[in-house]
Amino acid sequence: MVESRPLLPTDARMTWIPESGPGDTEFERVFALRPELFAAWRDFAELFWSRRLVDPVVLELCRLRIASMLGARQPLSLRRPEAALEPARVAALDSWWRSDLFSETERACLRFAEQFALDPKGISDADAAAVVAALGEAGMVAFVEALAIFDGFARFTRFLEIEP
Amino acid sequence: MIAPRVRPPTTTSSDPIQSSPLALQPELLQAFLRMYGVLWSRGCVDQATKEVARIRNARRVDCPICKAIRFAGARREGLTEDIVDRIRDDWSERALAPRHKAALRAVDAFHDAAGALDAAAKRELLAQLTPAELVELGAGIALFMGFSKIAVALGGLPDEIPVHEQPTPAL
Repeated sequence: MVESRPLLPTDARMTWIPESGPGDTEFERVFALRPELFAAWRDFAELFWSRRLVDPVVLELCRLRIASMLGARQPLSLRRPEAALEPARVAALDSWWRSDLFSETERACLRFAEQFALDPKGISDADAAAVVAALGEAGMVAFVEALAIFDGFARFTRFLEIEP
Repeated sequence: MIAPRVRPPTTTSSDPIQSSPLALQPELLQAFLRMYGVLWSRGCVDQATKEVARIRNARRVDCPICKAIRFAGARREGLTEDIVDRIRDDWSERALAPRHKAALRAVDAFHDAAGALDAAAKRELLAQLTPAELVELGAGIALFMGFSKIAVALGGLPDEIPVHEQPTPAL
C-alpha cells in the first residue's frame, strides 16, 4: 500500500507478535514474516489503485469508513494519494448520511460498504442496484473485492495489534 | 436465495470461477488466485488448521459455497467430516486439537471483536503457533472473511450446495 504520513498520534503500543521482518512500518515488518504471501497480497491490493478499477475517491471514502467502524487505527491513519480527499470530507465521513459533502454515487457506495462490513446478507437488492448503476457490473466486482481487502485487513491489523 | 446482483460473463468455460462474476475483472482474478495459491500451497500453517478456520468463517458468514467446499489437502491431513461437524458455535466444548481451537478463537475474534483479542487468547495463540504462522493465519482469516462476504454480496448462489471436495488452491 502507498502510505502517507500517519494522521493519528503514535503511542507506545506495539504488536504482540514477538518477531518481525524488514520494513518501514509495523504493518510491513509484521507481514514480512510471510514474505511471499505479503508480496502476493500487495500485488493484489494495489491493483485497485494502480488500474483505477473504481474511482479512487470512492475507494478511499469506503476504506476509511470501514476502518473507522472497526476501530482500526493503522488503516485509519493512512491516506491514499490517488484520492487526495479534502479534510472536511474526512471529518464528515462518520456521519456521511447527514452531510451534503458526498455525491449520490459516494452515498450509494458508502451505504453498501457499511452493510458489507457488518453483514453482507443485509445488503438489499436496491442498495446493490444503486452501486451497479453507479459503477457498472465490472466496477461492482472490483468494488466488492476492494471492500473485502479493506474489511478483512482492517481486522487483521486489530488482530495483530498493528499500530500506526 | 439472494438475487444475482451482477451477470456472469459470457463464456464456454466449465470452470466455476472463470464462469463467475469474478471473471469480469480478469486481472484481479489472476492476482487473487495467485495470492490464494500462495496462502494454501506455499504456507507454513498446516492445511487442516487453515481449513478449520476457513470453514468456521464460512459458517459465521453463512456463505453457501464456502460452507460446501472441502479442500483436498486438509482431508489428506486427516480433517474428517466428523471433525468438521464439531466446528459449530459450541466448538469450545467439543473435542478438537488445541491448535484448531486456537484458530477458531481467532476466527471468532475477527467476527465478534473486529479481530481484537484478550490476553488469554493471545497466550493461547502464541503457545500453538509460531509468529510467522500467526501472521499467515491472520491473513488467511482476513481473506476467508472478505471473499465469503463477496460471494454473499454478489448474490446468485443457491441456499444449499452439497459438500464436495476441490483441489487445494495452488500456483
